[in-house]
Amino acid sequence: MSDFIVFKDVSKFYGEVLGVNRVDLHIPPGITSLVGPNGSGKTTLMNLMTGLVHPGSGTITVRGLSPFQPEKLMRILGYATQYDAAPRGVTGYDFVVAGLLLYGYAPGEAERRARQAIETVSMTQAADRKVAAYSKGMRQRIRLAQAIAHEPSVLVLDEPLNGLDPLVRAETIALFRNYAAEGRHVILSSHVLQEVDVFSDQVILIANGMIVAEGEIKNVREEIHEHPSQFLLHCQNPSRVASLLFEETHITEVKLDPEGRGVLVLTRHRDAFSEAVQRIALSGVEIDGVVPTDENVDALYEYLIGGGR
Amino acid sequence: MNELAQVWTIARLEIGRAFFSRRALWVYLLALFPAVIFIGHGVDVTYKKQRWSARGATPANVLKEIANGASDEEVLGKAGQPVFDRQWNRRRHRGESEELEDVSRRTIAYFDGKRLVQFDFEGGKLTRTSQRPLLTFDEDRAAFAAVFQYFYLRLAIFFGCLGIFINLFRGEMLDKSLHFWFLAPVRREILLLGKYCAGLIASVVIFGTGTIIAFTAMLAFQDSAEMWSYWQADGAYHITWYVIAAALGCVGYGSVFVAAGLLLRNPIIPAVVMLLWESINGFLPNVLQKLSVLHYLQSICPVAAPMDANFPPALRMLLSPAAPTAAWQSIGGLLCVTVVVLLVASRAVRRLEINYGTD
Ligand SMILES: Nc1ncnc2c1ncn2[C@@H]1O[C@H](COP(=O)(O)OP(=O)(O)OP(=O)(O)O)[C@@H](O)[C@H]1O
Ligand SMILES: [Mg+2]
Repeated sequence: MSDFIVFKDVSKFYGEVLGVNRVDLHIPPGITSLVGPNGSGKTTLMNLMTGLVHPGSGTITVRGLSPFQPEKLMRILGYATQYDAAPRGVTGYDFVVAGLLLYGYAPGEAERRARQAIETVSMTQAADRKVAAYSKGMRQRIRLAQAIAHEPSVLVLDEPLNGLDPLVRAETIALFRNYAAEGRHVILSSHVLQEVDVFSDQVILIANGMIVAEGEIKNVREEIHEHPSQFLLHCQNPSRVASLLFEETHITEVKLDPEGRGVLVLTRHRDAFSEAVQRIALSGVEIDGVVPTDENVDALYEYLIGGGR
Repeated sequence: MNELAQVWTIARLEIGRAFFSRRALWVYLLALFPAVIFIGHGVDVTYKKQRWSARGATPANVLKEIANGASDEEVLGKAGQPVFDRQWNRRRHRGESEELEDVSRRTIAYFDGKRLVQFDFEGGKLTRTSQRPLLTFDEDRAAFAAVFQYFYLRLAIFFGCLGIFINLFRGEMLDKSLHFWFLAPVRREILLLGKYCAGLIASVVIFGTGTIIAFTAMLAFQDSAEMWSYWQADGAYHITWYVIAAALGCVGYGSVFVAAGLLLRNPIIPAVVMLLWESINGFLPNVLQKLSVLHYLQSICPVAAPMDANFPPALRMLLSPAAPTAAWQSIGGLLCVTVVVLLVASRAVRRLEINYGTD
């Protein structure tokens, strides 16, 4: 049995709408943060991992278990979703106990575990009040309590820090750290890298349903700083230009524009690239212009690194 | 944890919702409607009986001796104060002529303790005597059979199960709480079964109780000697089978609607399709008839529902069970249909995804 959470070429479409596209992931234990703007596919990834939605293609395993087998997977997994619905007419305590009963704990044991989980999220005071009457942050915490009550080895939390006051937030992060220290998975999501980078072991940056960068926070930061930019070179003789560009070491990828306008180039060093273009032009090969093609992506990286505006 | 225990745990957690779903409280109206009818009928009869008997019931043999041609004063003299007395004049042509005349009319009625005996006078002479029992046991039992088959099985239990079962999954999707179940360490089929059991317990209790109350109400107001002899002969047997038919109705319709709630977003469509299917079932070839819930239920009912010979043939066809089957065969058939439908539903629940987005 593998200790990893593995996505192999997973795509998920909601009808016509892209959820996530061709995701490959290999997530080791520890704290892993999914970071991306609204609608980037964070919730979709988590729902895929927990079997709430099914992939259109590709396969997923969570520590060797398939999300299609909740009877096995849910014994080692707890998921606090983003959905803010509270069951009607139930107290926080009952809510957590009900979840535990389905694990087959005897009533006494379920009650003990529920009290403990509620204690862990500092909700003991409010445990006997109705969930429907909780504040947003309290509902968030009681959902967290339910997710950890059976002490899962994979804890999945969708935007768990949203709406928490600083004190609770610090406690919650401490909880994540404890879990990770025991060799468990803690997967959480956030809109902002800065919110999670301090305590995450690894981050996964996601945008428009695609994984943009993945790994230890230090490497990801570098990757973002030197993220490759794409340019379109308008020219009369694309294959000649392409072969000249191939010789430049700083260029990551060169290909002919499928629409026949010229050459598409991917580079991490913009300055070296513009020098190379000048050199080629001077050597007599005609170049009609250079256009950056993905300003959107540039903006996205700005966003991820800059903490969102 | 063994899976049967899980089914039971789920059913227990779900039962409150099944009984008191915000979306399905009207189910109680349907379930209690026949009871209301029979209680209303009984109360009405009792009230009349009390009012009429208060003036003293008139002995039946006194009334029997009164013959046509007697004058109203004579009748009043013999039988005493009536429970009903009305006089009026009717203007009419005298014979064939144009000339008009006034004829006095009078209707007097007596109550002999069971029957209302009515005397109609014209011009002071008795012309017509009619009797109407205040309560006829045979008629009431037939009425019960008709209400049970035409209203209860066809409509009340049908729509009641629709309300209870279709919301088991769809309702939680609308409330955005279905994921709590999907995140439990439970196979989806087990979840389906647990929820189905919760719906079944609720619907059987609701409609079984409805049946018993209506039946009791029907009996309670009858003459007690007649009632006891019926109870000892057929009554206990009849009510048992009525309750079994109601329960099996919940079993069958419940499975259909829990499946419909999983397969379709809009509850109106399966309801209409199913209602049509059940209605035209009598016209279908024999094989297809076996795929109907109502078909089996009608065969289980202990008393054939009365069928008025004046109904147009098409309507008679619509209402009548096409090819009655033996009771045990019906039960077997119905359970088979249920199992098949639940298998379809379990495939659907395995594929079901959480999608709270657009609705
Ligand atoms: N049930 C659904 N039906 C249709 N489209 C959906 C559904 N769920 C998600 N999507 C689409 O899939 C994409 C990814 O959505 P997802 O909820 O995974 O994003 P997210 O990163 O969690 O966003 P947020 O930060 O707002 O929570 C979005 O374009 C969204 O519109
Ligand atoms: Mg989300």
